[in-house]
Amino acid sequence: MTEMTYLRAISDGLRTEMRSDERVLLMGEDIGVFGGAFKVTDGFFDEFGASRVMDTPLAESAIIGTAIGAAVVGMRPVCEMQFADFVACGFDQLVNTAAKMYYRQDLPVNITVRLPSGGGFSGGPFHSQNPESWFMHAPGVKVVAPSTAEDAKGLIIASMRDPNPVVYMEHKHLYRRVKGEVPEGSYETPFRARVAREGEDLVVIAYGAMVHTALEATADLAGASVMVLDLRSLKPLDEEAILGAVRHCSKVVIVDEANETCAAGAQVAALIAEHAFEDLDGPVVRVATPDCPIPFSPPLEAAVLPSVDRVREACRQLIEY
Amino acid sequence: MPQMGVSVAEGTVVQWRKQPGDWVQADETIAEVSTDKIDTEIPSPASGRVVEILVQVGVTVDVGVALARIATGAAAATAPVPAAAPAPATPGSSAKLASAPRPARPGASSQPRAAEPAPRSHGARLSPVVQRIAEEHGVDLDAIEGTGRDGRVRKQDIMAYVEAHGGARPPAGAGEPVLHSESPYRPGAGGSLAHGPYVPPEGRPLSRMRSLIGEHMHRSLQTAATCTTWIEVDMSRIEIARKQLAITALPLISRCVIHALVEFPHVNAWLQDDVHTIHEQVNLGIAVDLGDDGLIVPVVRGAQDLSPEGLSRRIRDLARRARARQLSPDDVRDGTFTITNPGQFGSLMATPVISLPQVAILDIEAIVKRPVVVTDQFGEDAIAIRPMVILGLSWDHRAIDGALAARFLANVKKRAESYEA
Repeated sequence: MTEMTYLRAISDGLRTEMRSDERVLLMGEDIGVFGGAFKVTDGFFDEFGASRVMDTPLAESAIIGTAIGAAVVGMRPVCEMQFADFVACGFDQLVNTAAKMYYRQDLPVNITVRLPSGGGFSGGPFHSQNPESWFMHAPGVKVVAPSTAEDAKGLIIASMRDPNPVVYMEHKHLYRRVKGEVPEGSYETPFRARVAREGEDLVVIAYGAMVHTALEATADLAGASVMVLDLRSLKPLDEEAILGAVRHCSKVVIVDEANETCAAGAQVAALIAEHAFEDLDGPVVRVATPDCPIPFSPPLEAAVLPSVDRVREACRQLIEY
Repeated sequence: MPQMGVSVAEGTVVQWRKQPGDWVQADETIAEVSTDKIDTEIPSPASGRVVEILVQVGVTVDVGVALARIATGAAAATAPVPAAAPAPATPGSSAKLASAPRPARPGASSQPRAAEPAPRSHGARLSPVVQRIAEEHGVDLDAIEGTGRDGRVRKQDIMAYVEAHGGARPPAGAGEPVLHSESPYRPGAGGSLAHGPYVPPEGRPLSRMRSLIGEHMHRSLQTAATCTTWIEVDMSRIEIARKQLAITALPLISRCVIHALVEFPHVNAWLQDDVHTIHEQVNLGIAVDLGDDGLIVPVVRGAQDLSPEGLSRRIRDLARRARARQLSPDDVRDGTFTITNPGQFGSLMATPVISLPQVAILDIEAIVKRPVVVTDQFGEDAIAIRPMVILGLSWDHRAIDGALAARFLANVKKRAESYEA
């Protein structure tokens, strides 16, 4: 075990897999000599060379399209979108080509697309988004979102090994803020939910950065015992874990950093409404970013993103219900 | 009673889906009726309120007889209401509506539910989980002090109450033996008697389809002088043709059978009392398994005119409609010969029961690779691996004799073994 940041854990996972599997190659904007906008691939160019750490033009469609071709001939490419927001330019390749290739032609597309996502640092409307639900809606694509350093490494390795296109949501706000013990060597984190804290009276369901918001918001809630469930995988959703947690606690708050409409939490809420109705002791409560662009202004951004206070208040009200 | 096929003269009401006072939409199912072979649903001819049921369950009436009366003029007065909603004050119908069954939740007991929201003093609504726990434990919710908002009874409140007072009855599953134990052996347990006397589960009357099948088959065995003759057939050529045409073996072997029936029309016949009818046309019945419900035998009419591909299409269509319960009475009548084909499960031989008034039925069993002795063009014997099947013909000795049955089967065998696609 080594303590490292969330960001270093991603690097460690990429490096571990690249050393053991020559089919893995990286593609992205400025990921080579420069080491990536966030330095995830710092030092990779020197170790693996230009043929496995490829600097690409500013063309997300070309990055993903080239990766699909490489995957079809047996490679395992990992694409870095410099910011998750920019993936919109590669949307067609990902959703219409990668996602449907196996269905149409029996050709697995083993690509991983890394999306540095999320706000909280005054990045404004084009550098702060959480577009995970765009891809949850596309059959054929898996979506994962780690919240801890250990899972960041385990999920990037599992994503590279999964034969499907996997969208890997890495939260920029966690890059250097979250540290943790990370096992040495190679391991896979399953695409299943994780109980971040056990509890009885209420469960908060979250993923990515919101797991930390949920843990902080419910650490001391007038003696209430609050479970926090970290989804880790958004597509597929761990329905068993979600329904099990709701059956146990009977009250549920779902937190998304994404814009509220059709966010991942909306699917979780629908699942609970349909399959856990008779176990509910209160309304299914959601906390999410309202349907607006993310403002540059720090106080305005703080006002729209789900804060510790907002989550705490939602939990307090539901417990009293 | 609507006309459901050219041959149908009468029908029996099996069930009324709507009762007097109920609202029914046009084309919504109002009743279920059965004819001699088909059970079917009757769509309402108009929207309105059911005023009167004229033909009770179990009564058989001719086509054209009125089954019920629907008041279509009532539409504007009251909006459609679900069958179990409280009775609106419609003159003349309130008494019957009041006795309409209340909606019963699956698993709910017949006694009034303790969690009925109406008479509660707390004024707040109950959550699904609280209602469920109250029901499982038979708890009177009025006895519980709610600590939620506006005095609402929360899950914690009812759990604490159940823990302190116990429920009026144990929760479902209480008292049952645990599923997993360290060892099934318990000292002192007195063998099988420890489980108490066997209490069989409650029996239920046979479905209408099962009763009809049973009656039909039993009458056949009592009436016909049933004998069964078997023959073994090498299916190599049928298998080749099947792959060429991308169809199953059934339409191909059916084609051979149809040819043989044309050549031996005495097998393609009816015997009704002492009236013997020999058919030139082959109306081929194909038994379709409907799972636990039973089986039905839709008929391919004029089968002698169809190619194997045409037979395949017709059989597939009939089987699909049979499983979707969409056959009309005309689809199941006038059969002159029947094929039953249960061999897909691997069984080797059977003695099928003749479907009267037909005089024979052919059973096709599993096609199995076997070592068989074959003779080459020089008269040399060799052992070869061949796909073999056993065909069983049950025939009515009142109409035909064993020699004819054997010649018929030999004809089918010859056609199958020399089949050219």
